[in-house]
Amino acid sequence: MSRSTSIMGREFGDRLVLALVIVFALIMLAPVLWVIGLSLKANAELMADTNSVFRAPYTVMNYFNILANSSVFRWILNSLIVSTCLTIGTLILCSLAGYGFARLNFPGRDILFVAVLLGLAVPEQAVLIARHQIFGILKLHNTYQGLILPGLSAPFGVFLMTQYFRAIPKELDEAALLDNASRFKIFWKVLLPLTVPAQATLGIFTFLWSWNDYFWPLISGTKNTMFTLTVGMASTQTNFAQSEGLGFLMAQAIFAGAPILILYLFFQKYIVTAVSGAAVR
Amino acid sequence: MAEALVSSQASLSSPALTAQRAPRANINASQWRNALFIAPYLFFFVTMLVFPLIWGIWLSFHKADTFGVGKFVGLANYARLFGDKIFLQSVGNTFYFVLLTAPALALLGLFLALALNRQTRSAAFLRAAFFSSSVLSVTIVTLIWRIVFIPDFGLLATIYGWFGAPAPAFLSSPDLSMIAIAIATIWWCVGLPMMLFLSALQQIPGEIYEAAALDNANRWQTFRSITLPSIKRTFILVLLIQVVMQFQLFGQARLMTQGGPNNTSKPIVMYIYDVAFKRWDLGMGAAASEVLFVLILIAAMAQFVLTRRRGEN
Amino acid sequence: MVVAGDFAAAPKRSRSITAREVDVTAHIEIRDVVKRFGAATVIDHLSLSIDPNEFMVFLGPSGCGKSTLLRMIAGLESVDEGTISINGQRIDNLPPGQRDIAMVFQSYALYPHMTVADNMAFGLRNIGVAANVISARVAEAGRMLEIGHLLERKPGQLSGGQRQRVAIGRAIVKEPKAFLFDEPLSNLDAALRVRTRVELAQLRHRVKSTMIFVTHDQIEAMTLADRIVVMNNRKIEQIGTPMEIYSRPATRFVATFVGSPTMNFVPVRVAGGGAGGVSVTLGDGTSVKTAVPAMKLEPGEFTLGIRAEGVRVAPNGQGVTTGTVDVLERLGDRTLVYTKLKDGSVVVAEDIGYSRVAVNDTVSLSIDGSRVHLFDASDRAWHCEEGING
Ligand SMILES: Nc1ncnc2c1ncn2[C@@H]1O[C@H](COP(=O)(O)OP(=O)(O)O)[C@@H](O)[C@H]1O
Ligand SMILES: [Mg+2]
Repeated sequence: MSRSTSIMGREFGDRLVLALVIVFALIMLAPVLWVIGLSLKANAELMADTNSVFRAPYTVMNYFNILANSSVFRWILNSLIVSTCLTIGTLILCSLAGYGFARLNFPGRDILFVAVLLGLAVPEQAVLIARHQIFGILKLHNTYQGLILPGLSAPFGVFLMTQYFRAIPKELDEAALLDNASRFKIFWKVLLPLTVPAQATLGIFTFLWSWNDYFWPLISGTKNTMFTLTVGMASTQTNFAQSEGLGFLMAQAIFAGAPILILYLFFQKYIVTAVSGAAVR
Repeated sequence: MAEALVSSQASLSSPALTAQRAPRANINASQWRNALFIAPYLFFFVTMLVFPLIWGIWLSFHKADTFGVGKFVGLANYARLFGDKIFLQSVGNTFYFVLLTAPALALLGLFLALALNRQTRSAAFLRAAFFSSSVLSVTIVTLIWRIVFIPDFGLLATIYGWFGAPAPAFLSSPDLSMIAIAIATIWWCVGLPMMLFLSALQQIPGEIYEAAALDNANRWQTFRSITLPSIKRTFILVLLIQVVMQFQLFGQARLMTQGGPNNTSKPIVMYIYDVAFKRWDLGMGAAASEVLFVLILIAAMAQFVLTRRRGEN
Repeated sequence: MVVAGDFAAAPKRSRSITAREVDVTAHIEIRDVVKRFGAATVIDHLSLSIDPNEFMVFLGPSGCGKSTLLRMIAGLESVDEGTISINGQRIDNLPPGQRDIAMVFQSYALYPHMTVADNMAFGLRNIGVAANVISARVAEAGRMLEIGHLLERKPGQLSGGQRQRVAIGRAIVKEPKAFLFDEPLSNLDAALRVRTRVELAQLRHRVKSTMIFVTHDQIEAMTLADRIVVMNNRKIEQIGTPMEIYSRPATRFVATFVGSPTMNFVPVRVAGGGAGGVSVTLGDGTSVKTAVPAMKLEPGEFTLGIRAEGVRVAPNGQGVTTGTVDVLERLGDRTLVYTKLKDGSVVVAEDIGYSRVAVNDTVSLSIDGSRVHLFDASDRAWHCEEGING
């Protein structure tokens, strides 16, 4: 008797949890579905009644209109250039530094490493204003360099790569030293190929972060032609629902969000590792 | 005859050999050239982070605009800051926002992690779904949520419309604007706490649960006596991470409410943005940044201390 | 007998090496070497000479500094004091790659992302050896080690034994003056370890080179070595051939560490000189006549050491003393009889395979005086005259 009630209690608990998860999943999903729905409707119909979302006719006109809007492609190109350069640069710098910190000895190494770790605790806002002024003096605003260079100082990658290099057995370096390899050759030929998982994690993380970065591109790339996609999309929101129409805006949101979501689905494992690692650092 | 003990101290050193004083090879020697591997990163670390950080502190004691640094004004910027009602309001708003989001994110993340910590395909799918919003940019998130909250065309307005009721004016009401931003933020950020809790849950050895099952512990007892204590640290950690992250609220507020109405949803970072990049009062903006820096540093320090203690155990 | 005096002889020998031998094989001379890790001295003024083509084994318990000494020769650890030279030329100031030495690591340390062939070729490419020479040497090593069919595989696709061969192959292709092995067999399972040990013994006759082999396993040391260096606690306890180490251990540590079962140790009193050898009195009053010469031996308290094969279960009454049987270990060809003497000291004796002895029996024990070692208060050993045994 008591056994059967406990099983019933268990089933009830399970159902409750399941119901809650479904409710949350719907809350997660509903706004996105709403946006997709709006993006497939003609503007005139929406203006009359948003309930028309639940009825045919649907149209992909809004997506065609994006193709006609040249700015979006310019912004995507800007974002691609900035994020790709920043990702490659970060991988190079952090791999070199990670190897140096993990394997080589030089004066002041440990203090330097602690300094880099402390850099993790510095919020972007604490350096933005001064950096903006410096970049102004150096005439770096509204250039690709201006958008790329600040990201190269992020300490997280150095930390990640140092940890990764430390986990590789030191005997490999020693065997290579006995094989007459120089330090750079050991880095390049022996150890770097073994860090591919960490490179993938750091690369995707950096790319995502850069693609979604909002504050610095907002204050540095102020010309429409130098907008990144994130900033550019934001600029169209200020005249929300006025000039271009709701459906068009929503189509833009889907258009801008889809590539990054697809990237996420492909590299889910690495992204999750990177994000958890970044936070637990 | 008995053998003598081998003396390892036998010093029959040949003068020819000991006279040579060549430098000894040491692969672990501390050498300047080894720092070449660090140098490229270090260049950016110093020029893009350390130097601006110091310059920023220096700037906060000066009158400055985009064209250069003016005269030294001591603590005047800070004094003006704390005399500015809008700044104090933005600090209050930020704390309110952190209070709205950080505990909610931690609890919701924990709930989802507990519910989805299983090996089924549907659990894996739901995990991916709940995390997927985290990879979107703030611009897309705010676009999505404005079209939920917006009057007339919004999802909420439409749903309320089915019942013939007018939807609350989430984005334009002083009482609701911050809550609207908080809802969008929770929707955006819930993936990370969930993932952190999941990885903590997966580190609890399965044998403990098997032992508990043998001891006839029911679900609630197992949860109370095993799961909760094992993730207590993670919970505090997640909470602090969220505090640090949500302190830096900017994009959502700027894009959803422009800080309004009447500055009721203006956070510190947006105040900094307005002062520094709209009024071009860089000195005062820098001072506000330093205040934010100190607030975040306190939370980061707490996090550091906690992770350290976990590492030592 | 190889003791301290050998160090003095070494330089003379090195001068007699012919020019051809100098090129292919190394005479390694370690002089007064000291190594410290922070405050801890790990190697304390150690001197050692290794002959060309010699197979030298460093034997000692874990943590005694064997690996450290080997790595100092390889250049992977710096030398704090003293010198290391090969064929008269100092090498302790050369980087590891220029010492003409190859090393096989305990973990093998194969490059995981390179094929077996590339693993072996890496070192040769780095010094600019012609491609055709490299492929010839790799093929030859592959044949010799029977890994020719594995050359295009990655280490991850190999078994432990195969990886071990690749590690040896990587050393062989370099044609070094000396091979260093750091416990290369310890990651293999028992059966493979024995087989590889035999193969290593064969290999050393095909590859003419000096070899230094580090192990904590006395059987590996006994079976492979020309000479063994027994190390303990920062210093050398004894250097000698396997049989010297076994039958004439220089110290109580060596006597304990080498041989299975462990040598019996019984406190005794040396009464004084007699013709031929001293007589000692055991704790239970038994007097044993030994072959240890009385000369220089002060009467007093000593420890008698004797291996199980020197203590036999004697037909009733014929032994010198009696003991009660505690445990029997039947090994087939012989039986180890753990007995307790009247004064409580434990002695392991040997009996024939089909021993009739049972637990709790009282047995009579005979002691072979020519196999007795005496250890004085400083644990230094006194043996019978050379030639009587060993
Ligand atoms: N890099 C190091 N730093 C500090 N101590 C070390 C280091 N390497 C070895 N040791 C110490 O030196 C001693 C000898 O080590 P090792 O040569 O590896 O011993 P073995 O190989 O005989 O087991 C040990 O006590 C070990 O703890
Ligand atoms: Mg060792």
